[in-house]
Amino acid sequence: MRQKLFSALAGIGIALGMGAIILVLEGRQPLDVYGALVALSLGDIDKLAITLKNAVPLVLTGLSASLAFASGPVNLGQPGQFLMGALAVTLIGISVDLPAPLMVPLLLAAAMLGGALWAGAAALLRHAFNMSEFIVTLMLNSVAELFTAWLITIGGPLAEAGALSPRSPAIAAGGRLGEIGPFNISIAVMALAAVAIGYVFYRTRAGYEWRIAGQNTLFARLGGCPVDRNFFIVMLASGALAGLAGGLLVMSGPYRFIRGIGANYAWDGVMIAVVANSALGATVLYGVFFAALQTGALGMELLTAVPSEFIQVLQAVIVLVSVAGRGYLSALLDRLTLRRLNRPSPNSS
Amino acid sequence: MRIVIGLLNGTLAGATPVLLAALGGAFTFYAGVFNIAMEGMLLVGAFCAALGSFFSGSWLVGVLCAVAGSVLLSLLFILFAIMLKTDEFVTGIALNLFAAGATTYLLRQLFGVRGAFTDPGIQAIPRVDIPVVSQIPLAGEVLSGQNLIVYGAALAVLGCAWLVFRTPFGLRLRAAGYNAASLESSGVRPARVRVMALLLCGVLCGLGGAFLSLGYVRLFAEGMSAGRGWIALAAVILVNGNPWGVALIALLFGLADGAGLLAQGLGVPAQFTGMLPYLATLIALFVYARRKQRAG
Repeated sequence: MRQKLFSALAGIGIALGMGAIILVLEGRQPLDVYGALVALSLGDIDKLAITLKNAVPLVLTGLSASLAFASGPVNLGQPGQFLMGALAVTLIGISVDLPAPLMVPLLLAAAMLGGALWAGAAALLRHAFNMSEFIVTLMLNSVAELFTAWLITIGGPLAEAGALSPRSPAIAAGGRLGEIGPFNISIAVMALAAVAIGYVFYRTRAGYEWRIAGQNTLFARLGGCPVDRNFFIVMLASGALAGLAGGLLVMSGPYRFIRGIGANYAWDGVMIAVVANSALGATVLYGVFFAALQTGALGMELLTAVPSEFIQVLQAVIVLVSVAGRGYLSALLDRLTLRRLNRPSPNSS
Repeated sequence: MRIVIGLLNGTLAGATPVLLAALGGAFTFYAGVFNIAMEGMLLVGAFCAALGSFFSGSWLVGVLCAVAGSVLLSLLFILFAIMLKTDEFVTGIALNLFAAGATTYLLRQLFGVRGAFTDPGIQAIPRVDIPVVSQIPLAGEVLSGQNLIVYGAALAVLGCAWLVFRTPFGLRLRAAGYNAASLESSGVRPARVRVMALLLCGVLCGLGGAFLSLGYVRLFAEGMSAGRGWIALAAVILVNGNPWGVALIALLFGLADGAGLLAQGLGVPAQFTGMLPYLATLIALFVYARRKQRAG
């Protein structure tokens, strides 16, 4: 555990170092830039609240990917499932008007259902025709993106009348998530979802079967696990998490479907799952970490004139270095530990 | 008749980048590398092509820059996946992210724009008129006057098939994927063959990327590879890397692309016509899976 933490921190450290080199080459002060990044994402309680709110879609799409990868299915459809969750919330939100205690659970369920159905379509194709979910989910991403873009395009069936930019009407007031203090309620929903999926995954028999199947499908099958059914359930749960991310984004932010709503989170979920090595706890931590980077990026641009796109490069470097370093470093640490243990202790002999 | 010629020209233009990326993917597929970085390679290729063409005023420099940029991504893949033994899937995902981030960042840094960069200074890759062929009525309008890269892609299919099936290198390439241990025991290092395959993939994806920004249109837009690398990957997996099969799938994709443009002219919303290539890929996957199910 300590070793894992060490190699994760080392990976981030090396990546930040490489980022600093890029900044120096461009004639900037890396310490100022990183300082601004931290100050504007974690500097005080209000900024922390914004970072956590921005972490909601990252953590949930990350959990979606981690859950799938760790259980076997290669679900790369988070962007599409995210959009379908957002769409479901928008559809229900503009056509139903209930008081908040009923409306919020209804919309959350709709978000999860939207994402789960989109992932379920891929799972069904895999189940019935053995079509690789890896490619199907990818193709469905593009289909979902174009379909939702068509719905809200000006003059489209879901477009707000008279709007100048492509967007849907706003959802009913009962479905909007406000703030408790500085913290948006969507953060609590995210935490609840993370705890729930963590509990199922690590503490129940179903989760045990998923994990076994993720490590060795054949072993799971021979051990009597219903591998096909579990595949289906995992795909649905994974889609539901991504859909929830999209739904929460609509409910806590613009309260409507706007163009490009999921564009910023397209690959972030997969990215976070990959860095976290598909461990759910690490996924949450990395999700918050990347949210802090992205939140700080905008402020960094204001303070130091470094374009916020720099963070995209930095993120990719962090992914590459920490994943490559993980294998390399743990081998190195193992060897060092071995050498220490083999060294004859002064008390013996 | 005009419609058919338009459709065929659209098909060729749509198929070319996918074909080049898929041929590159075929090399890595045969070599036993799970390479999903074609999307990023195309994007970097497209960016570097626009960059080189803009600063030098020559499309040839643009194409060379595209190849260099794309090969750079190959080298990163080699460094991480082959030398440091990082998981290939993870490396591919990270490189795709890196490509998207780096091109967006550089677009902003070098040209000070967001979204798309277009400038009259970007030189397009020329179209080639073939002397006699262009005189043939109707057929001449399709066979002649295409972009240079389109002809290059057609030649690349022949070259790829020849290289894979008729040369010692091709034999080693296939052996690296089929049975790396026995290749190793015959004195050839599989890692070296894989490095070659990845470099070839980089070159081909660079050409495909150059076609995107200097042939298809004359600008660079963020994320302009738009899933073509993924479709190329699907094509490679569908036909197990066979270059002729890859060409067929790429043409199918191009046809869907061309038909989309045509339907758009008839008033179908662009979003739906835009779905056609992805749906076509799904259908191809379906047909393939059914055939396999029956055979099995």
